[in-house]
Amino acid sequence: MSSNRVSRIQLLLVMLLLVILQFYIRPRLWDARISPDFLLIALMLFAMRSSPGVAALAGFAVGLIADTLTPARFGAGALAHTLVGYLGSWGRSVFFADNVLVNAAFVAVGLWVRDFVVLVASGTNHRQLIAELTLYSPLQALTTAGFALIVLVTFRSMFSIRLDP
Amino acid sequence: MVSSSDRRYTRRDTVLFVLCLGLSLFGLFSPTSWGYGVADTLRQTVLFPLVWLQTRAEEGRTSRVRFRQVTLERDSAAYLAQFLPSLRAENERLRQLLRLSHRLKIGYVSAEVLHQPQAMDGRTLLLSAGSREGVSVFSPVVSPEGLIGVVLTVSRTSSVAMSWAHPEFRVSAFTVSGNAFGVVAPSNEGRNGEGALEFRGVPYRDSVPLGTLVLSSGLGGVFPKGVPVGTVIGTVREEAGWERVYRLRPAANPGSATHVLILVGGRTADLRPAFPSDSLLEALRLDSIARVRRADSVAQAAREARAMRRDSLRRASPLQGGAPQVQRVTPTSPILGGAPAAPVPAAEDSAQ
Repeated sequence: MSSNRVSRIQLLLVMLLLVILQFYIRPRLWDARISPDFLLIALMLFAMRSSPGVAALAGFAVGLIADTLTPARFGAGALAHTLVGYLGSWGRSVFFADNVLVNAAFVAVGLWVRDFVVLVASGTNHRQLIAELTLYSPLQALTTAGFALIVLVTFRSMFSIRLDP
Repeated sequence: MVSSSDRRYTRRDTVLFVLCLGLSLFGLFSPTSWGYGVADTLRQTVLFPLVWLQTRAEEGRTSRVRFRQVTLERDSAAYLAQFLPSLRAENERLRQLLRLSHRLKIGYVSAEVLHQPQAMDGRTLLLSAGSREGVSVFSPVVSPEGLIGVVLTVSRTSSVAMSWAHPEFRVSAFTVSGNAFGVVAPSNEGRNGEGALEFRGVPYRDSVPLGTLVLSSGLGGVFPKGVPVGTVIGTVREEAGWERVYRLRPAANPGSATHVLILVGGRTADLRPAFPSDSLLEALRLDSIARVRRADSVAQAAREARAMRRDSLRRASPLQGGAPQVQRVTPTSPILGGAPAAPVPAAEDSAQ
């Protein structure tokens, strides 16, 4: 078994861990509005190591999950996550995203963009949009980026690979 | 120069992105029912494990919150339950005291017993009424059960009473049947650490059966006649064939008394009617409860009648846009034996 394949399996396990954290641990621990979004961390970490098309597909899948499990407008989450995944993948080409802090910053920006697109696509009113984008989204971006940093430092060896063929 | 593989790679990415974007926009602008249908299907199939996981997490969180809430409720209930028996007992004692005050035909002052955590508490009692309320030295102190003691010293706002447990306490007494007289004094041989009384000086020829109630006789001018002192529970000794000493179970317990009445006048009065027997007390209590229930029923019937009257007036009022209706409601009260309650005015009353 090649080392690249082993790393992919390990990466898959980390993604699975993040999914479990999202759906089993997150509801128990934090306030939903500012708690870390583990699915978005998984998406961004995957997107930054994948081609834009695959990242967009992964984003679409994550968005579909979000749309299905949250009572927001159906399709808004898929659209937002598709855009974030695609842009995250392109962003790695533009920035030198091998630095863990840059990765964490990517995650924070991705979350804020995701929230922006979801809120706009859902037809949120102006006042709530401002409150969300200036207060809750930055707070959640901070916590999410912080946790992404922990994940990156803990699994540094796994995230140094590039998944592109 | 871009190679053909790179171009294919870029084209594939673009196609995937556009496809995902198109599907997202289709989901976004499709009818809401379609979106809900797709979401329902996904929840029940592919995403079922995630939904199950989230459900378990939510249950865990809510059960934790519920557990905390139940624990708090249990603690509160336990805290309240600690005081419930004592509150009920105090309530019952106050009711008894109230009934006694209604039955007393002489002047009295109600007072609280200010217990002190000392070994001698119970022999002397600090009372919350003094000379300002008309209390004087040697005023008898009674509770609903019977004699507690006598006032020893008086200040302006408080007084100290000597209870029957005090070694110097004496009261002239007689049996309820009236065939034996004597003096009641505290006993030195209390059973099980409880205080007891002795009924001394009873002539040898006067036999007193067990269970006989002993009352104050009124002789001596300190205690009025007819206040229960205790019940005969046995013989202590016989003095050289001319006197018997009986053991009494005290009628009232100074150690547990919280509220008392201090009698301030009419020491020559006969208070036997104010201290009826246990069976009579029970009958009086039941009668009191029945009277309260009757009063409640009548009040309830009156409230219902008033409510019906209001409804009738509202319906009949021309300001409401409805034609005046004549409606007579004749509510009956079960207590009043089906008699019609307050008459409901007809529409002509409301039109005026």
